[in-house]
Amino acid sequence: MPGPIRSWVAVKHGVDVVLARAERATGNVAMDRAPRKTSDFDRNAVEEAVRIREKFGGKVTALTVGPPTAKEALRDALAIGADDAVLISDPARPELDGRGVAQALAAYGRKHPEFDLWFFGEGSTDHFTGTIGPRVAAALGAPSLSYGRRVTVDDGAVVVDREYERELERVRAAFPAIVTVGQEINQPRVPTFMSTLKASKKEIRAVGPADLGVDGAEWAPTTRRERVFVPEVARKRQALAGADVAASAHMLLEALRAEGVLP
Amino acid sequence: MTGETILVFSEEPDAVLGLVATARSALAGTPGRVEAAMLGDGAAARAGGADRLYRLLLPEGARHDPSVAAAALQQVVDLAAPRLILVASTKRGRETAARLAGVIDAAVTTGVSSVALEADGVRIHREVLSGNAIGEEVLLGPNPIVAVMSSAPTGGSPAAAPTEVTDVPIEPGPARITLVERTVKPAGGLRIESAERIVSVGRGLRKKEDLALIQELARAMGAVVGCTRPIAAEAGWLSDDHWIGLTGHRVKPRLYVAIGISGAVQHLVGMRESTIVVAVNKDANAPIFAQSDYTIAGDLYAVVPALVRALTGT
Ligand SMILES: Cc1cc2nc3c(=O)[nH]c(=O)nc-3n(C[C@H](O)[C@H](O)[C@H](O)COP(=O)(O)OP(=O)(O)OC[C@H]3O[C@@H](n4cnc5c(N)ncnc54)[C@H](O)[C@@H]3O)c2cc1C
Repeated sequence: MPGPIRSWVAVKHGVDVVLARAERATGNVAMDRAPRKTSDFDRNAVEEAVRIREKFGGKVTALTVGPPTAKEALRDALAIGADDAVLISDPARPELDGRGVAQALAAYGRKHPEFDLWFFGEGSTDHFTGTIGPRVAAALGAPSLSYGRRVTVDDGAVVVDREYERELERVRAAFPAIVTVGQEINQPRVPTFMSTLKASKKEIRAVGPADLGVDGAEWAPTTRRERVFVPEVARKRQALAGADVAASAHMLLEALRAEGVLP
Repeated sequence: MTGETILVFSEEPDAVLGLVATARSALAGTPGRVEAAMLGDGAAARAGGADRLYRLLLPEGARHDPSVAAAALQQVVDLAAPRLILVASTKRGRETAARLAGVIDAAVTTGVSSVALEADGVRIHREVLSGNAIGEEVLLGPNPIVAVMSSAPTGGSPAAAPTEVTDVPIEPGPARITLVERTVKPAGGLRIESAERIVSVGRGLRKKEDLALIQELARAMGAVVGCTRPIAAEAGWLSDDHWIGLTGHRVKPRLYVAIGISGAVQHLVGMRESTIVVAVNKDANAPIFAQSDYTIAGDLYAVVPALVRALTGT
């Protein structure tokens, strides 16, 4: 039976894809002003770490990289059951790109190398590059086990069932290891009133580059985000309403034959 | 040697052909070189007309550990000094791209639909916001890594000179990840990506037995049956190969009929490239209606049988 397990979970306070809207005039989405929420798969990642702690004991630490408003994602993680939380930010650069986020997380991992498992969502809801987990792992020289659909813990090692386009794999790696998970791995619990209240009272530790012994220059962006726009989909939006349902059905079939999409 | 080099890599020989073609078009007629790193005998790189082939001599059965391919590519990057590295945006491709970015400290992005070289960087377009929007970005700094969505492999344009070959031996490092088991998913099944017509169903359907209605309509239309995530992942009424959307399959049929589907953004991204979209929903305010060409506001339990009758003349 494995002993207590120290799990970390990286969470992102990303753009809410349902609430984000394009400006009518330009078709552009103002990402910096869009509403935000915790990235979907990151909740699965927190849930998985919490389940492991419930089974084997240990501790779950949630980490995020971002401006102070990103604390919201940490509160969510605490409400699901994380024990403590760390906000990594650089006042000089409120918004980092993927490289910056990975560098910041790797700097934290180098300074405090005391994790057994470090969970990530396999991609973020807003940008979904799916690169942060494996990139941090590479920077730390740790194994990365991506696309986890089932995670079990063995003595000092993790076993991950994962899915690729054409094959399924079961792989195993000794601690410390980085694991990314998708939505199928679990159903994240819905925080209760009490757990949300408790989460809101927990202290969130804030650290910056200086605390991690770096100067932040290596967090500089290597991506210039030009714009995010919603492509125009010109649909006809013709409502078909005949005298009765049979008439509507005939109208539809006629329209589809005229379009040449039905023989 | 003049011009710039684009390095392409994929674990899948099939993907190399398409990547070489993408690289050629990114070079847009400039005197650049396309070099390919791949496993195996490199037939695809030759067929695609790569100027150079780096044969990665990976230890047997190292595919499950992306750090091995990343280490191999790191050596190739040193040799080729590429302006840009293109990989296929498959799950393994994205993983390898990310690990390579970590070891060479380069910009990386995935799921890219277009790529162009510019004076100060590499301009790309990619899907963002769960497929609701397109992001336009410029990757800066040396050796940016771009994982591109699959493009139909073209015939390739043979290089002026025959492909040169460089073998890249890889020292087998300590095995960090061990493969316990690998199962190939059963092939065949439904290839919904290539369907011409799809009749797709969502949670408007009350029970599994009622799928018969949908199947009957699909048969009458010469269509295959698709579905939303809840029908496959939660109810389990249809297998995953029917599941359309962000986390399911991307389809682009000529006709997509959405029945009892609300039109959540994560579903829309999977079917938005359909030529003609039809929605049947009892709620005339369902978001799917704004994304459809023809809509019928009504109960699917009345509309679907009426369509079947109209099609079969019964
Ligand atoms: C990270 C993430 C990834 C996701 N990936 C996907 C994905 O890949 N694919 C996907 O589909 N979803 C995905 N989802 C889920 C998505 O958000 C929606 O929950 C889902 O698409 C809704 O499915 P639905 O339209 O079948 O159900 P609902 O949203 O419940 O809609 C049912 C519709 O049926 C209509 N209806 C009910 N009864 C009738 C009737 N008798 N006649 C006619 N109409 C009727 C209702 O008016 C309603 O519009 C994802 C979600 C997340 C968070």
